[in-house]
This record gives sequence, structure tokens and C-alpha cells, in this order.
Amino acid sequence: MQVIEVKNLKKAFGDNPVLDGVDLSVNKSEVVVIMGPSGSGKSTFLRCLTYLEEPNAGIIRIGPHELHTGGKLDRKRKKEIRELRKKTGFVFQSFNLFPNKTAIENVMEGPLTIYGVTPNEAKELAESLLVKVGLGDRCDHYPSQLSGGQQQRVAIARALSLNPTVMLYDEPTSALDPELVREVLQVIKDLAEEGMTMVIVTHEMNFAREVADRVIFMDGGVIVEQGDPKELFDNPKEERTKRFLTMAE
Amino acid sequence: MIESLEGSEVVDVTIIIDSLPSLLKATIMTLFLSCISVLIALVIGFSTALIRILKIKVVYEIASIYISVIRGTPLLVQIFVIYYGLPQIGISLDPISSGVMALSLNAGAYLSESFRASILAVDRGQMEAAISMGMTYGQAMRRIILPQSLRIAIPTLSNSFIVLVKDTSLVSVITVTELLQMSSLIIAKTFEPLTIYLTAAAIYWILITFFTTLFDKFEKRSSKHLVR
Repeated sequence: MQVIEVKNLKKAFGDNPVLDGVDLSVNKSEVVVIMGPSGSGKSTFLRCLTYLEEPNAGIIRIGPHELHTGGKLDRKRKKEIRELRKKTGFVFQSFNLFPNKTAIENVMEGPLTIYGVTPNEAKELAESLLVKVGLGDRCDHYPSQLSGGQQQRVAIARALSLNPTVMLYDEPTSALDPELVREVLQVIKDLAEEGMTMVIVTHEMNFAREVADRVIFMDGGVIVEQGDPKELFDNPKEERTKRFLTMAE
Repeated sequence: MIESLEGSEVVDVTIIIDSLPSLLKATIMTLFLSCISVLIALVIGFSTALIRILKIKVVYEIASIYISVIRGTPLLVQIFVIYYGLPQIGISLDPISSGVMALSLNAGAYLSESFRASILAVDRGQMEAAISMGMTYGQAMRRIILPQSLRIAIPTLSNSFIVLVKDTSLVSVITVTELLQMSSLIIAKTFEPLTIYLTAAAIYWILITFFTTLFDKFEKRSSKHLVR
């Protein structure tokens, strides 16, 4: 069953086309890693999926929520976009934790505001999620009291708090010191083993090799090549992919 | 007690003690003017800041002109226009109402800019994180952006409030019996300008120090998440 379906997604900033007709289908429990040089449109693609950027053309379906571009941004459409976002956990490169809230409050915020659960229920859920990402003993710490790796794990717990159908990661480890990368990747890997459907923009090749079911190479706003990680890394067919991989090594 | 070179007393303590009840009563008026005006100014400042950030049509223009006019003209002129000018078009306000109106309109314009700056100072990622969860713009503003911007705004709010407390002295020119006006009245009877004006200055100073301390405490409390 396909959980994500994207057809002919286009996005331009002014006259500058960033996405030039991207198609993507992601199966349930599939882990897709998107790679590519900077400016290739991979982050924009991910952000378009939850309408953090509004695409200029194309169709996006996540779970049962389908959005066509070009509609008038009225009340109904705003609601549709919100419904799509509720089912899509988004993890940012710069974490974007709420600095004035403790770790547990960060994770409670979504369920409290979006689903209107009671504070006790939210707390229980948040606690279990923080335990899951290995931060059960950091519940009452503020983000400023946590390392980058810990902050990103809180951010993952926060994204999980709304029980999303898919998880999207926009370079989740790019802002981290090298020694902190592993703990974040481990959490993502655990989620993969649980069968979470995920799309991950990252430069971590070893991680992609280990965890991804499929690697997508993007350049110039299009998908240049995709396939099994082993196949794509060891035996790239396209010239651009080869060049990128040589540079990255 | 300060004594001049000739030995006669320049600052007389008994005069201070005698005039203190009247001065303190006038201080209550100063406080009343400050507090009422700041409350109204907060409402004006906050709403015009939101109007300007959301770029709401028509009212955006009105808000911008309001801020430009208020910031571009002296408060004293504004007080005169409201108290002496408006009766000509049939709007007669008593001195206290005129004073409150002038002070709150004036402070509101400055607070508006403070609020606007503090809302824009919150990292863009905060809004993205909030709406990516499915929050509405309003929810994200209320629950995530505004609490953070308030903390950023505290120092400038404190500043504006201090200025406002001092600016209340200007409404003495339209016969509101606040601290400065009362001082002048007492001086007319006692002919002790130095003593009385210094006493008034001391009262202003104590008042403002009190409020500054209060704001500092508030700022510290709202910044506890930044302490490592």
C-alpha cells in the first residue's frame, strides 16, 4: 500500500525553478533516503510535502489526505492542509524545539493543542515517547540544557506525539557535532525497525546503506536516479550520480 | 540638611514634611495616569502590531499613519491638540481624560513598534515547527510565538513604562493635579522651589526604581529556561 504519492510536483522561487516535476511513491514501512548536492531541491521537496512551502503544481497524497495545488487558500483548504500535517511528523535540521518549554512540555504541546487530550494523558504519552528516544531522565530539562543530539531526539519525540502516518526528516544530523550524529541516527533506525514510513534527506551514506530501502538521488530539481542503496552507491548508472558520489567520498 | 555658604537653610526639612501629604496624594494621580494609560497603550500597541504584521488591508494603512504621526510629533503638542483643539470640533474632554488619551495614544505607538519587533525577533523555525504539527496560525501565535516574544519585549516595555511615568508630568500643563502640578502649587505658597522640586524628583525616582526592579524580576523569571 502506498502511503505517500506525489505526482508532478513543481516549485519555483520567483523565476528560479527548484522542483521541476517530481514523482514519488512510498510504500508503507518503506524508508526512503533522498540525497543530492546542495541546491538540488531535496529540502524544498520535503517541505512541499507538508506545505511548509506551497508547491506551484502537482498532487500530494499522504495517507487518505490528498491535496491538489492551485486551490484558493480558503478555510476549507487550510483545514485540509492541517489534516495532512497532523499525519506527517516533520523533523528540522535546526530542531526548532520551543525554548521556553521543557522537553516534556515540547512533546505534550501537540497532543494538548491539536487533539485536545487532558494534561495527564499528554504527560503520560510524552513520557513514554521520551523514554523511547532514550531521554526518560531529561523530561524536565529545557532545550538549552540539552546537547544537540538530545535536542534532536526530543524533536523526534515531539513529531511522533501526534501519531503520524509518515515521518519526514530534513537533514536531521547536519547541525550536530560528529559524535552526536550516531545517537540520532539510532533513534531513526529503531523507528525503521518498528515499521515507520519515513523519508529522510541526509548526507549520511553509511546510514543510508544500512537503513534505507531505497535511495533517491536528486539534482537540478528532478529525481536523477533511484534504487536499492547498494545498487545505487556501488553501481550508479547516471553520470551526475557518479560525480556526486565521488565527490562525497 | 544642606546649608548654603551664608548659613541660611536652602533645603528645609519641615517644609518637606508639611508638603508630603499633598505630594503623595498627587503621586497617586501620577500613578493612576501611568497605570490606566499603560493598560490602554498595551491594547493599542499590541493590536496595531498584529495588524501590521498580518498586513490586514486598510487598517494596516491606518495603523501605520497613526504610528508615524504620534512618533513624529511632540507629546506636548498632542496634549494641546486633544485638550484645547478637540473642543472646537465638539469633542470636549475633561483634563484627566484628555491626559489619559494623549498618554495612551503616545505610548501605544511606541509599544506597537516594540511588540512588532519582538514578534519578528522570534525565530522563523518556531512558527514552522508549530504549524508543521497542524496548529492553526492563531494557535501557533498564542501558544508558541507570543509567549516568547513577550520575554523579548520586557526590556523595551520597561523602558516605555518609565518614559510614560515621567511623561505624566506633561499633563500638568492642562491643570491635572499630578505630582509636578502639585509641586508648583505648593511652591506658589511656600516659595521653596528647590526643596519641593527636589522632593518631587525623589518621588519620581523612587517610583521608577520600584517599577524597574519589578520588571527586572519579571524578566529573570521569564528567562529561567535560558539558564544552563
